[in-house]
Amino acid sequence: MARRGRDDDDDEVEEEEDEEEAYDLYDDEEEDEEDDYEEEARRGKASRGKGGGGGGGRKRSREDNFIDDSAIEDDDEDDDDDGGGARPKKKGGGGVRGFFDEEAQVDEDEEEEDDGEGEDDFINDAGADIPDEDAVRGSRRHSIPMRDEEEDIDEIERQVRERYARSSHIEYGEEAAEVEQQALLPSVKDPKLWMVKCAIGHERETAICLMQKFIDRSDLQIKSVVALDHLKNYIYVEAEKEAHVKEACKGLRNIYASAKITLVPIKEMADVLSVESKSVDLSRDSWVRMKLGIYKGDLAKVVDVDNVRQRVDVKLIPRIDLQALASKLEGREVVKKKAFVPPPRFFNIDEAREMHIRVERRRDKESGEYFEWVDNLKFKDGFLYKSVSTKSIHTNNIQPTFDELEKFRKPGDDMNGDMASLSTLFANRKKGHFMKGDAVIVIKGDLKNLEGWVEKVEDETVHIRPKISDLPKTLAFNEKELCKYFKPGDHVKVISGVQEGATGMVVKVEGHVLIILSDTTKEHIRVFADHVVESSEITTGITRIGDYELHDLVLLDNLSFGVIIRVETEAFQVLKGVPDRPEVVLVKLREIKNKIDRRTSAKDRSNNIISAKDVVRVVEGASRGKQGPVEHIHKGILFIYDRHHLEHAGFICAKAQSCLLVGGSNGGRQGNGMDSADARLGALRSPASILQSPGRLPPRGPQMNYGGRYGGGRGGRGYDALVGKCIKIKSGPYKGYRGRVKEVTGALVRVELDSLMKIVTVKRDDIADTPTVATPFREPRYSLGGETPMHPSRTPHHAYQTPMRDPGATPIHDGMRTPMRSRAWAPMSPPRDNWEDGNPATWSSSPAYQPGTPPARPYEAPTPGSGWANTPGVSFNDAPTPRENYANAPSPYVPSTPVGQPMTPNSASYLPGTPGGQPMTPGNVGMDIMSPIIGGEGEATWLLPDVLVNVLRGGDDGPGVVREVLGDGSCRVALGSSGNGDMVTVLPTELEVIRPKKSDRIKILNGNFRGYTGKLIGIDGSDGIVKLDDTYEVKILDMVILAKLAT
Amino acid sequence: MDSLSQPPSKRPLSSSATDFREVSLASPPAADDEGERSKMFFHIVLERNMQLHPRHFGPHLRDKLVSKLIKDVEGTCSGRHGFVVAITGVEDVGKGLIREGTGYVTFPVKYQCVVFRPFKGEILEAVVTMVNKMGFFAEAGPVQIFVSNHLIPDDMEFQSGDVPNYTTSDGSVKIQKESEVRLKIIGTRVDATEIFCIGTIKDDFLGVISDPGAAV
Repeated sequence: MARRGRDDDDDEVEEEEDEEEAYDLYDDEEEDEEDDYEEEARRGKASRGKGGGGGGGRKRSREDNFIDDSAIEDDDEDDDDDGGGARPKKKGGGGVRGFFDEEAQVDEDEEEEDDGEGEDDFINDAGADIPDEDAVRGSRRHSIPMRDEEEDIDEIERQVRERYARSSHIEYGEEAAEVEQQALLPSVKDPKLWMVKCAIGHERETAICLMQKFIDRSDLQIKSVVALDHLKNYIYVEAEKEAHVKEACKGLRNIYASAKITLVPIKEMADVLSVESKSVDLSRDSWVRMKLGIYKGDLAKVVDVDNVRQRVDVKLIPRIDLQALASKLEGREVVKKKAFVPPPRFFNIDEAREMHIRVERRRDKESGEYFEWVDNLKFKDGFLYKSVSTKSIHTNNIQPTFDELEKFRKPGDDMNGDMASLSTLFANRKKGHFMKGDAVIVIKGDLKNLEGWVEKVEDETVHIRPKISDLPKTLAFNEKELCKYFKPGDHVKVISGVQEGATGMVVKVEGHVLIILSDTTKEHIRVFADHVVESSEITTGITRIGDYELHDLVLLDNLSFGVIIRVETEAFQVLKGVPDRPEVVLVKLREIKNKIDRRTSAKDRSNNIISAKDVVRVVEGASRGKQGPVEHIHKGILFIYDRHHLEHAGFICAKAQSCLLVGGSNGGRQGNGMDSADARLGALRSPASILQSPGRLPPRGPQMNYGGRYGGGRGGRGYDALVGKCIKIKSGPYKGYRGRVKEVTGALVRVELDSLMKIVTVKRDDIADTPTVATPFREPRYSLGGETPMHPSRTPHHAYQTPMRDPGATPIHDGMRTPMRSRAWAPMSPPRDNWEDGNPATWSSSPAYQPGTPPARPYEAPTPGSGWANTPGVSFNDAPTPRENYANAPSPYVPSTPVGQPMTPNSASYLPGTPGGQPMTPGNVGMDIMSPIIGGEGEATWLLPDVLVNVLRGGDDGPGVVREVLGDGSCRVALGSSGNGDMVTVLPTELEVIRPKKSDRIKILNGNFRGYTGKLIGIDGSDGIVKLDDTYEVKILDMVILAKLAT
Repeated sequence: MDSLSQPPSKRPLSSSATDFREVSLASPPAADDEGERSKMFFHIVLERNMQLHPRHFGPHLRDKLVSKLIKDVEGTCSGRHGFVVAITGVEDVGKGLIREGTGYVTFPVKYQCVVFRPFKGEILEAVVTMVNKMGFFAEAGPVQIFVSNHLIPDDMEFQSGDVPNYTTSDGSVKIQKESEVRLKIIGTRVDATEIFCIGTIKDDFLGVISDPGAAV
């Protein structure tokens, strides 16, 4: 606080005295310069009023000083004048003089100065600012030596004595007792402090204005004005009454007339003016960062701190454009390129001399060290020494990186000797930095280099047990005096810094820097001892970002692929799948398309089948002789892990053809591609056979088709429980879409969108499972008939939803069938158990209920017609709702007809011989076409002859016309848009239906008009308006199920 | 593949490094302090539960058990005991317990074996397997040792090229692949299946002991 400030001043004074003498001893050689300074100073002062360049600058700086001081020093001065009495603040002073002691004095000085001599008082402060402005550096201290050419030493001595005799600092040499301090506190009798709102940013200005007003008008009854730097929008005014404050503020531009004036409670008054001493402990050798200018962000080392003037001398790596500097010195116009910031580089005198830059070598007055001076810049050993304000540097949380420190470290400099520079690093230590048992070394003080182990930690004090036995059992140290200590061979883990998370063994200890051999990369890492802990853990640091993990095989953006060999903070290092030469790329997360997780196999040189985990030896190419288990196979490229291979995390990329299998294949049992395909096919067929086996389905033609398509449609999917499920995508670009899971690979899911007829890959987290079970799983259920009613009762939901969205594929069939099924169920809903028992009696009696049980089918009621329109019975086509449907039904059995059709297995078995069972026949024609869809969730199932398609097979790309759909789902396609090219057999997955445009001839691929041809007469969003050829009916159908007909 | 899967017996440990310095029945002691006599081989008794298929039940059951034990154990590494170099005898085969469901029988077997466990501060000889700019890797039997370039005498410099090596400035000493070096272990990392050491040759009496280049 004020008092502390005083003490500082005191010290300062003494210092000045000391130094003054010191300067006298070696000042001779610098006399010339100082002459100049002095001259300039005087000239500046003389021309002050005229606004000369130097004078202007000075004035500004004076003003700064002045304002800074106005709050605190003002107080002090008062106290000085009045002695340590019981807070007689300003009471005696009064008038202008009392208000602004310093200002008044300075003014006096000014005059005196102009006269050429006089009392040397505060003017020294002002004078000192001139070199500061002009010559970058300079300090209060210099002002004294400057004088000594004119006045002899005795004179100065006299002056100084006079000066200090005059000021009453001495009185404050001793600390005032606590009681005295207390006595200074404001009481009720003292003037009050009022807080006045003013324009933001104009606090100082307002204070000055008030000052001016006070000077101009003697009737103002305010005592003082305080503007605090840290308080925006307010100033404090000291006055007896609020009215006085109002009076004073009246007419001030920056204080609104309506501004509220609040009283500061007596208790808080002292706080207003107490200066919070910043705990920033800037000491020599600590690291700071520059805040402004071209050095912004640069690391600097503190070489000297001047707490009083709040300036710091720092050492930086200069960013100097010598060329520009040379031009400037020669007086040429320098084109200022704003964007260009010269890179940091050590200053080289010879280089500068070559460019004809004058480099002077001078001794610094303060330290006695020699510096090179160039255009007022001070260099030493290539570093730039610069005096900056404490405000223009960052002092907190400086984490110099390794590179930066290395740069600062001159060759031959020992890190150990640089101990103090670590103090900044220590300041950033986390809490609980030291733990019991840590090996530490003392780095400061008498016991420097003492080793020991941490016994106890209490806040900042660490008790250690020294290694040397003669010493007391425990010694207490400040945390900052200790540093962790490691020996070569220790296994450590990095816990902060760039390498965070890595583990390794200490190879070498260089002062406080450890060189660690990373466990995984077998590379050297340099870290600070402070950043590591001893650990037996072995990690690589982070091993995954997003869905990708170390050693995953990934597909990159540009369709190349590779293995992740290293995970960095925001990117992966990927060893690309390019044989012959290792190619490592750094990829960002978004550049990775997906993980390749397919189990494939490849053939080696002698046509053995290699699968993952097989051990192979590379027999040709760059990595010949390497041997190891195969980690990944993709497109005939093997990624082999060789423990002895130290680059690329041990991964070698080689062509399968240039490798030889060593020993037997592990993968043999799993079967190669063919085998597994067979197995899958077998597995896929089985449900089909289940469908048929119960014999519930009348053995009819389409069956074969059915089974075949089924198999074809579902080849090679994953086996996750999710597969085949109907899901909704809840986030990501496809948010809101529904679809069916085709495949699950790790955290990714391939989803066939219902509405877009395309398969997209989404994250597993992005999908929400709808409670519906999708068709493939329902298949057997139908065939098994009497199942738990829960499912059917749920299906309608699904059934009614899906048709609306996707009349394209299977859902149609759901929509078509399930409602009917539910209709069948619906009447039974009360006695469901009976149904489960498969009691035909109940069932057969049910038709009687059917018409009368609409409430039992609550989900049917809201159905839009789409599902119903699809019912096979022609008679139902026009029926918009089920109810009407029933109303139209002439006989109780009729409604059961459609029921029977789609559900053939069920109904057939449950209604043997009933008329309801048999009448399927008429509808069967439709059903035959439909039935394949039951199994077909694949996009290929609904291909029909004469449809125009795009063949997406390598070599045969282009349009084609489907001539024939084979039993296994593949098609014979005649290439060419008119179908006059070669005939090829193409898998359904390699075909893409060509979407028709308006007025194209079309064929309906799905729904109950499947096979019908027509003309697309219009498109409405995702619906197409189709005029059927046969009936000339106009239908609105989803575009997805329309295919262009070959002309 | 993993060199550990090969029984060390088939791959002779390099020259004199394999001397049996001491055979003790005690478990490996804690890391020796430097200067003490180093012990890296230990003769200890271990126990293991062996599962045997019923088809082996018969007059040669014990033989089968022992051969299976040897097959299973020799050449493996356990973090605690180090590499099992050889089984020297079977002390005791306990009563077998038939596993329900599988028919396998579990025998607790006590066996004596020689284990190899390097410790910090020990000196051993190893064959250089790879040289790179960061240092070189050497193998002493199943143990892989890395000697960082910081732990190679300062006068030896890395020479890249066809045969990367570390050579002294006068060219008199050269470390390259297949060189035999004597080194001191300064750190070990032991995990379940592997022991990895870092060593130094920056000390008295350490360094190359036989140079393949010189021999030719």
